Amino acid sequence: MAEFKLPPNSRIDTRAGKTHRASAGAKSVRTFKIYRFDPHAQQRPRVDSYEVDMAGCGPMVLDALLKIKNEIDPTLSLRRSCREGICGSCAMNINGLNTLACTKACDELGRGDINIFPLPHMPVVKDLVTDLTDFYAQYAAVKPWLQTRTPAAPDRERLQSKDDQQRIDRPSACILCACCSTACPSYWWNSERYLGPAALLAAYRWIVDSRDDATGERLDALEDPFRLYRCHTIMNCTEACPKDLNPAKAIGAIKQMLAERQH
Amino acid sequence: MAERPLSPHLSVYRWAYTMTLSILHRASGAALAVALVGLVLWLVSASLGRDCYATLLPLLRSLPFKLVAWLAALALIYHGCNGLRHLAWDLGWGFERADARRSAALVVAATVLAGAFCLYLILRRGAGAP
Repeated sequence: MAEFKLPPNSRIDTRAGKTHRASAGAKSVRTFKIYRFDPHAQQRPRVDSYEVDMAGCGPMVLDALLKIKNEIDPTLSLRRSCREGICGSCAMNINGLNTLACTKACDELGRGDINIFPLPHMPVVKDLVTDLTDFYAQYAAVKPWLQTRTPAAPDRERLQSKDDQQRIDRPSACILCACCSTACPSYWWNSERYLGPAALLAAYRWIVDSRDDATGERLDALEDPFRLYRCHTIMNCTEACPKDLNPAKAIGAIKQMLAERQH
Repeated sequence: MAERPLSPHLSVYRWAYTMTLSILHRASGAALAVALVGLVLWLVSASLGRDCYATLLPLLRSLPFKLVAWLAALALIYHGCNGLRHLAWDLGWGFERADARRSAALVVAATVLAGAFCLYLILRRGAGAP
C-alpha cells in the first residue's frame, strides 16, 4: 500500500542541521543544502548547509560536492566514479529532480540554494548513498542476457541488420543509475512488486533483440498486474532520464506486444 | 547501527505536470464513480413519477447542487480528454518528451475551455428558471 508519510525514524530533524559558512574572502558564494544521515549516530537524518565559493570550484554539482568533501566536511558520503555521465554512480535528487551530479551544471539550477537529497524512497546507507540491492535484483529478474535456442555459427558472430541494431541502440545506452525508477511514484508505492522503468527498459531491450530466442518467455514473465502493469504512464521516468532515454515508451511497447499477442 | 531511514520522496520531488495530470486522472475517475450514484438517484426519482421528482426539484435547482454538478462535468471533461491521451499511448503514440508535454497542455486547455462553457450554461439559466 502507498505510504505517503515517511516513517518516524526517517523524518528530517529540522533543528539538527549544521551550517558551514564560507570564509570571509569568498567572492561568489552559493549554498548547498545536503541531506545527511550517519548510521553510527543514534540520530534522525538532517540537512546541512554548506556555503561554497564558486570562484574556486568546477562548474558541475559533483565538483561542488567534492570540494565540500575535500575542503569543508570530509564526513560527507556520496558515490561517484567517472565524472562524465557514463557510470551512473552519482545519481541523486538535485533541486527536486533526479539526475547525475556530474552532468548537471550549477548554473543550470538558477540562482538560489541547491538542495541535494539521495534518490527518493530508497533505504539510506549514509548521506547520499542509498541501498540499491533491490533495484539490481529487479534488473537481474528480467534476465538481461542473450538467450538462444539455435547453435551459433562456428565461424562468425550472431549477425544483425543495421535496422535490428537500431532498435536496441538507445535502450542499450541505459547506465542503471536508477534516476528513472526512483522518480516514479508507482515505484515508490510498489517497489517490492513493480519492476520499475529501468528494469522494464532492460527487458524491452532484450525482447526486441533480433538475436534473442526467448521473446515469448520474456513476455510471459512480465504479464503480471504488478511487475509491468503498475506503470500508469506518469512519465516521470522519461522526464528524469539523464541519458535522454525513454523508459515510458519502452514499457508502452511491451504492453502493446502483450495486447497483440492475445489476438 | 541505526535502522536505515527511507529517503524523502513526495516532500522533495519537484511537483511536475506529469504527476499532476496523473493524480488528477485518478481523482476525477473516483469522483465520477461517486457522481454516477447521484445520476442514478436522479433517474430513479424521475422514473418514480411527477410527485417524487417535484420534491427533488428545489434541490436540483439550488446553487450548491449546481456547483457539484459542474464539478462532476469538469471531472468528466478532464477524464475524457486525458483518457484520449492514454488511448494514444496505448497505440504507441505521443511518448516523446515534447509530445507528452504538448498533449498535456492540450488536455488542460480543453478542460479549462469546456469547463468554462459548462459553467456559463449552468449559471445562465438562473436559479428559478422552469
